[in-house]
Amino acid sequence: MFRSVWKGFFDVRPGEYLRTLFVALYLLFILFAYYILKPVSRALFLNSFDIDKLPYLMILIAFVGGFLAYLYTRLAVKTSLPAAVGWSTALTIGSLVVISWLLGLDRGWVLYVFNIWVGLFSVMMVAQGWLIAANVFTSREAKRLYGLLGMSAVVGAAFGGKFTADMVRSIGARKLVLASAVMVFIAYLCFRALLMQKGVALSSARGAESEEAEFHFADIVSAIRRHRHLQVIVAIITVTFIVDVTIDYQFNAMAKLAYHDKNQLTAFLGNFYGIYLNLVNFVLQFFLTAAVVRWFGVGGTLQIMPVTMSVTALATFFLPGVGPSAALRLTEAATRYTLNRTGMELLYVPLPADLKNRTKAFVDIFVDRMGRGLGGVILIFCTTVLALTPKQIPLVTVAFSLFWILLSARASREYLATVRKRVASRRLDIESVRVSVSDPETLVLLEQTALGENPRQAVYALGLLADTEEYDLRPLLAKLAGSPAVEVRAKVFELARAENYAPLVDQALAEVHRPHSAGNAAAVRAAVGYALTVSGAAQGLLREFLESPDPAVWEGAMDGLAAQPELALGVVTHEWILAAASDADVGRRLLAARAVAVTRDKGTDVLHKLLEDPDPRVVAAACRAAGALRDRAYVYAMLRRLGDARVRGVAIAALAAYGEAICGTLADFLADDSAPLSVRKEIPRALRLIVHQRSVDALLSALYNANPTIRHAALKALNRLRQSAPQLNYADELVTVQIHQEARQYFELNAALAPFHEGQGGSRAATLLAHTIEERLRQTLERLFRLLGLRYPPREIYSAYLGVCQSKGEQHASALEFLDNVLERDLKRVLLPLLDAPGHALETGRHLFGIQKKTLETSIRDLIRSGDPWLVACAVAAAGELGMRRLAPDIQMAAQHTGPDVAEVARSAAALLAA
Amino acid sequence: MAGLNIVEKVIALEGVELLKNLTPEQLSRIASIAREVKHPPNKVILDPSIPMDALLVVVDGAVELSRDGEVLHTAKQNDVLGAWALFDDDPMPVTAKTVEDTRLLRIGRDDFYDLLSDNVEITAAIFSTLVKRFRKLVGQ
Repeated sequence: MFRSVWKGFFDVRPGEYLRTLFVALYLLFILFAYYILKPVSRALFLNSFDIDKLPYLMILIAFVGGFLAYLYTRLAVKTSLPAAVGWSTALTIGSLVVISWLLGLDRGWVLYVFNIWVGLFSVMMVAQGWLIAANVFTSREAKRLYGLLGMSAVVGAAFGGKFTADMVRSIGARKLVLASAVMVFIAYLCFRALLMQKGVALSSARGAESEEAEFHFADIVSAIRRHRHLQVIVAIITVTFIVDVTIDYQFNAMAKLAYHDKNQLTAFLGNFYGIYLNLVNFVLQFFLTAAVVRWFGVGGTLQIMPVTMSVTALATFFLPGVGPSAALRLTEAATRYTLNRTGMELLYVPLPADLKNRTKAFVDIFVDRMGRGLGGVILIFCTTVLALTPKQIPLVTVAFSLFWILLSARASREYLATVRKRVASRRLDIESVRVSVSDPETLVLLEQTALGENPRQAVYALGLLADTEEYDLRPLLAKLAGSPAVEVRAKVFELARAENYAPLVDQALAEVHRPHSAGNAAAVRAAVGYALTVSGAAQGLLREFLESPDPAVWEGAMDGLAAQPELALGVVTHEWILAAASDADVGRRLLAARAVAVTRDKGTDVLHKLLEDPDPRVVAAACRAAGALRDRAYVYAMLRRLGDARVRGVAIAALAAYGEAICGTLADFLADDSAPLSVRKEIPRALRLIVHQRSVDALLSALYNANPTIRHAALKALNRLRQSAPQLNYADELVTVQIHQEARQYFELNAALAPFHEGQGGSRAATLLAHTIEERLRQTLERLFRLLGLRYPPREIYSAYLGVCQSKGEQHASALEFLDNVLERDLKRVLLPLLDAPGHALETGRHLFGIQKKTLETSIRDLIRSGDPWLVACAVAAAGELGMRRLAPDIQMAAQHTGPDVAEVARSAAALLAA
Repeated sequence: MAGLNIVEKVIALEGVELLKNLTPEQLSRIASIAREVKHPPNKVILDPSIPMDALLVVVDGAVELSRDGEVLHTAKQNDVLGAWALFDDDPMPVTAKTVEDTRLLRIGRDDFYDLLSDNVEITAAIFSTLVKRFRKLVGQ
């Protein structure tokens, strides 16, 4: 028990220590600062104003604070996370210094501003702390480490509260505000230290979740109208915040009555928010929430908070005072942040992922504020129109809590209905949810589905149950091992193998010995793999399986061997592989290739032979084996296979499996003009799968290649790499040089095309040549934008490319405006005239690169001399049709040096010129 | 009469609706697998009882298309016979017979598929044509 609790909090693995430390410290100091500001701001307000002003403050915090928070999110999403943290830290420290000074002026409005600003602080700084954590850790790491991070946040809050309570009497509120600024600065130092850690790359992370800024109000409203499940969620959250406001009001009113001195009030609120509230939260979250959800399910968990609220609020009505009100506030806040939040998280689970994210963002930004604002309005109504005193406000709380109880019951029913629908359509994703508990009603539903008659749904439900933490799958596996559905039996053996669950061996062997057909191959294969993994007599079984006439049994045997290669000793020998590789049966040769990979057999001749096999399936298996062995002896055989479309994909993946060590070899082959183009143009596809600087360097050097096909393939690969690995160095200067070269080529092609616009003498070959040049211009433009995508944000550059491809109009103008703002001066000078004024491209080409205007004949002559086989062929044909006898020597030269197709065209052209 | 060179083949293929989204250079790759065939007058080149395995383009000459003895159309220079034969091996319900000495470009289905497997951008362009045609049909 102790070990499991310890591991639950402190399962930090090698390589994660410093990252975890600095994120934890960041959160600790930010929460420290927040829990100074929160009690100080509220105590100063309560001390200076009557309690009837509090609802107005709550409305202002909800709407003005909410609007400012929304504005901040819109700005932050456009900037990188480090920049957002830097700016928000500077802004926060500056604001705190100014607020501290303003507090000395003793003006009432300052207290309103201060309280609104503290609300913004939690959005900017606290939420940002968790965003940093989400970007530093993967979702799997997060599940292990969030407990520890949560604890550091609680410790920070407790220290902040205690510090405030102890220091307010000696240094006063204004200096406490300055002390919080110091804490924010220390937090920022921790963030800088975090950035220096290995494996932390936050430059591509945004300063706020993009969903928070990018959802559309109309979409969400329409979604809420369509989904009853969403309506219930929104209603519950609204009521939750109305109740929060009424309880907070009551608590503040009672505290004001109890503590007349502002320092005493600040100390009380500091202790209350910082220590008691956080400690109760912590205990509930880490020790009770999971158990409560397991016992009561989603519906029960959601009922706990409103039931507790109504009972406690009723108690405070009969026993008014700061103690009972504090207990009510404590219960409300603690259950809201723990049980209720977890219950609400589970309510979101069955929604489609995109709808879930957008709805959560909408709820965080609007429903939260709307609920609080509405709570403020209700309070004003109750205290002015109904003339209720603070001691009578608990009755309002009770009324809303009763409504909430009804809503929770409804939510539970809607939840199950939605889960049922999502399981039926196989779209429920438990793994994506960052909660570690599962609702028992959902588990029952999944079990029923697994035992149901629809095999696909059963397999899906089994997969979900296997992903569920702390769920014992074995009884269900035992029940389903005899399922009549092949897919279900296959899934059962696969999961039993993963769980190392041995009691199903007899059923597995029965599956293997059952009369075979193609239909049950999946179950046989899974059963064989399972039997080899869990059986005590695995080697004997392996011998038997390898002698089976059924390929599904061999495949299963290889699956088993892949997990336990030691079983192959003395059974799958080099001689055995050699014999299988020479077998007339394709299936045995396939098996030989897999055996080479599994046993890591170093008999290079066998694999060479298999790589040359006439059957593409065998070649594909041999490529996979070579990729697993990473033996350079097979590289050239696989490179040759890049020209074969049937095995190209596998060969590319196998080459990429060699990793960065092979980048140099691939770069050499890519640059080798004597190698077939059909092979070379595929090499960038392998390089882009190797996420390493050496891949980038190899691809960058290919940008200098004279062949546009190679340049295009290299650029495409670089663009993909830039997206997957923005942290690598894409050599800005080299890319800039290349942009200039491509731009020059664009202007040259444009100059070559211009005379064709003035007339082509009715020559069909000349028309074809003009079309070809236009296509080359389009390809050059695409390469230019691909190059820009290596230097500037790729998504924005791609949007700009789509915009400039529109002939004119709004999108075209916006794209040019964007490029005008983003590109550096040197690139703008070359690119904008090309895009903005194509009618003046000839003059621009002359001005920038000295490219002269051409006649039709000089243009065709230059194209004949270009060396580009297709352009040469078209140009030669056009010269023949247009009777350009002065070009006869150029045609003759091209015929000798540009390949057989051009020679044939040249013969026809020569005949026309001679006629 | 000299054989067609690659540029002349591309010019002939520009009229094929299925290939209209291809760039001249992509057409040149199709042209590289297009075989020139010559037929004397009165030669039956399409028979409703025989499945088609190639697309034919009339380079010069004339081909008469008939059903049950009734002449439906006479295909001349740059007309296409069996436009969808590259994807569909059902026989055409017509008989095609040369009227005079005729030259055709023949693109065999197997060669075409081999070419597509190596030139994914050609496959994409042909898909685009098919999708546009499908949209047009649905729109109608």
